[in-house]
Amino acid sequence: MPDRGIVDFLATVPLFNGREEADLAELARVMRRRTLREGDVLWRQGDDAREMAFIVRGAVSASVRVSGARAVEIARAGPGGMVGEIALLDGGAHPMSVSATEPATVLALGRLDLAGLLARQHPSAFSLRRRLAWLFTARLRDHLARLAGSHGHEVTGPPAEDGAQAFADLDYCGPPDSAYVRRMATFHDFDPLAVWGFLTSGRYARCAPGRTLLAEGAPSTACFLTINGAVEKVIVRGDRRIRVGLAGPGKAFGYESLIDGRPSPVTAIARERALLLVLARDPFEQLFKSEDAISRVFLDVIQRDILAALRQTLPPLARQPSPGPADAVLAAGPTDVIPTR
Amino acid sequence: MCRVLAYLGEPLPVRNLLFDPEYSLVRQSYSPRMMNTFLNLAGFGMQAWDPASLQPEAPFTYRATALPPFDRNLRHLSSKLAPTCLVAHVRGVTYSSEAVVTETNLHPFQFDGTRVVLAHNGHLRQFPSMRHSLVEHVRPELAQCIEGTTDSEWIYALILSQLDDPHGLPETRELADATADALRILRDVRAAHGIDTSSPVNLCVSTGRAVVATRFSFDYGWYPPEDEMLETDLPFVSLWYALGGEYTQGDGDWQMTEGDPPRSVIIASEPLTTDHSSWVEVPEYSMLTAELTPEGLEFEVSDLDA
Repeated sequence: MPDRGIVDFLATVPLFNGREEADLAELARVMRRRTLREGDVLWRQGDDAREMAFIVRGAVSASVRVSGARAVEIARAGPGGMVGEIALLDGGAHPMSVSATEPATVLALGRLDLAGLLARQHPSAFSLRRRLAWLFTARLRDHLARLAGSHGHEVTGPPAEDGAQAFADLDYCGPPDSAYVRRMATFHDFDPLAVWGFLTSGRYARCAPGRTLLAEGAPSTACFLTINGAVEKVIVRGDRRIRVGLAGPGKAFGYESLIDGRPSPVTAIARERALLLVLARDPFEQLFKSEDAISRVFLDVIQRDILAALRQTLPPLARQPSPGPADAVLAAGPTDVIPTR
Repeated sequence: MCRVLAYLGEPLPVRNLLFDPEYSLVRQSYSPRMMNTFLNLAGFGMQAWDPASLQPEAPFTYRATALPPFDRNLRHLSSKLAPTCLVAHVRGVTYSSEAVVTETNLHPFQFDGTRVVLAHNGHLRQFPSMRHSLVEHVRPELAQCIEGTTDSEWIYALILSQLDDPHGLPETRELADATADALRILRDVRAAHGIDTSSPVNLCVSTGRAVVATRFSFDYGWYPPEDEMLETDLPFVSLWYALGGEYTQGDGDWQMTEGDPPRSVIIASEPLTTDHSSWVEVPEYSMLTAELTPEGLEFEVSDLDA
């Protein structure tokens, strides 16, 4: 029998919000309780990811060290918080060191156990994927806001109308060669029929270089997947353009607003001519909320992209000495600031 | 299909870059982590500037088509050299009857009497159809120096041709401008020939005092039909850097120590250590410039709009 206290605790964790008690009891059976003293290290940056941790009591600090600089605290997590999930989900090494800032108790969830939860053909698995997408989107927004904050708060990118018009004015065209799409690394792991279902969920459009597809601060009307070409995700402050990502073939953008209903956190501008899969709000929501193989492809594509984006924001967040704890505004390093062309 | 590495900073034993870290450049010849299925077994080359050597302005040059992990000469030399600047390269070619594995195709390239060297990771698709159109953009005396069959050597000649004095020592800014100008010429020639598919040109250009590096691809994300390199294009043209005090082994791991202002930088196709979370990935469409000055190392990343 699982510890009643663990089940009660799991019911308070945002990631498991709404899960049935039987699910939580099953989860509690595979979790391991660990007690930490102040200063104890859960794992170091670069370690193989074997587990993630949920904080039951006390607090932990997550820090990042970039070459040539001191480690900088990126975040703190207290009761109900979680750490270590990025590496557990994307298969890479832990991007942050995590240690206890005070005596703490955590529940550790192993890689295989998390993978098992997500792989189930059950509504709870899809619910968990959606929950992760929400939580990661919120975290990505926080990281981007901190990066942008050091360059001022006034958005000076292309006007929001450009982004709103972008969807309606696109040059729609036929689908790409299916053999090409099947060879894209993004879709290797999926059933071909499910991939086909996903790729026929939207419309295809050509886009000229320099075209603004999304505007920071404006509501997004569609999510895009780049088939060919490249779209740059930027934050513009004054005459500085902070590049925060590049959506090349197989990479998505514009999903944040459709996931949480808030304005776009970035401006997206075609860097090359591009061929895009365009998912308007309705097909997006259909894919996001369904619970079938096609939806799984979609949720995986989104998750991979958010995780990669989160990893990309960590070095610039850590580049400059932190002026204070994690909730302070951190400045992007000068090497991430690209002058506006 | 290559791996490139440039170092600029405090004197550093070459073996600390070529052999000792878990994913040293020599290991990247037979076990690169970020190239999926390709290897780099078509030869090794390096040029190293050692201020304690005779004629310190001229680099020590080593090239061999032998497999670098089994090259004892290279291993021994790497323990004796401690340059302040190094450009090294392991070459990869696809298995094809058209591939030419020979010393004249090994990077870095340096024509006699010039002060600039170049190593390249990438390839210009449909290069044979472009070559003759490039002749008009290359100074005749430099075109005569081209000995090999690679697109890379032509890019080198093109960059040299953009300098006021191809045999002089250019300032870092002039070298960066010449590199960007050469890429613009290539863009125009590609357009004139209707070439519109992905062609990565990650370059390391150096004078021994400065390094200019690019992470750049023409027509990023566009591939010819049935192109077998589709899956590997994106990872194999990556570029990373580690910037700081000095590159040393501490707590069992190779790492760049703290340095503010920085004194050393490593620029490499992929990190030299298993843990690459402390390395910084260079964004696509970027140019890095690094220069040794009396005050330390000046380093900058800027947008490259060629």
